[in-house]
Amino acid sequence: MSKKNKIYWFEGVTEKGVKALLNDENSKYRWLRSQKNRRVLVTLMALGLILTSMGGYWPTLKTNLNLSPGAGMILFSVTAIFVIFTTVGCYSFLRIAVRSIADAPDELLDERQIAVRNTSFRYAYFIFGYIILALMLLMLLGPDLKLFQPEGNDGSYIVIATLFACAALPSMVMAWRERDI
Amino acid sequence: MLFSMSRNPEEPVYNRIEEARAALGLSRQELADKAGVHYQTIGYLEREEYSPSLVLAIRIAKSLNQEVSELFSLTPFKKGK
Repeated sequence: MSKKNKIYWFEGVTEKGVKALLNDENSKYRWLRSQKNRRVLVTLMALGLILTSMGGYWPTLKTNLNLSPGAGMILFSVTAIFVIFTTVGCYSFLRIAVRSIADAPDELLDERQIAVRNTSFRYAYFIFGYIILALMLLMLLGPDLKLFQPEGNDGSYIVIATLFACAALPSMVMAWRERDI
Repeated sequence: MLFSMSRNPEEPVYNRIEEARAALGLSRQELADKAGVHYQTIGYLEREEYSPSLVLAIRIAKSLNQEVSELFSLTPFKKGK
């Protein structure tokens, strides 16, 4: 057997990494695999994505809270770091919880795992479509978020959250739906 | 079932994998290694929550020294048979 660790650049996984997760080589992550814990991770991840996307509301919130510039900056920084770490951390744990099946290429999976992965992508695609639709409606009609107008708030948070959701949704769907992984 | 993993949810595939595996004294992991699948896939098959492809059905039958028709059926197996 080749000792070379093949890197799947397109999928963002390595052969050894996926095989280690599939073969339970590291038992310390076993607690993540119960459906209840996976669903907690998915909920936290969704919450993190929603909070990230709401970063555009910060200027409005700062004005309404009458914060000094220094206090506002500290509060924003602490909140932003917490949200980013929570979201990135949840995503990392989520990938471990679903054994990277959502990201792994066909050659590292068996036929049932391929079917599970493909079904998860199918539902993720539909969910992502509805998220985009909701965001478009929010951007066009939402209060203080008229992003297509020059005086509108910064929409970069929504873009970041949406891109992150695009990457994480198949794992989130799989983690939520599957009884055993 | 809306999210069924069966290839044809209207017509489940019944099997005697668990019985045949136990008769040979194989664990799920050992059978999975022989058939080239993950051990949880064997669990899904034994619970009849997943219907295998023909290739996998043949590989499992071969691993258990049985014919495909002895191991898989479109009608439930009679107990003890």
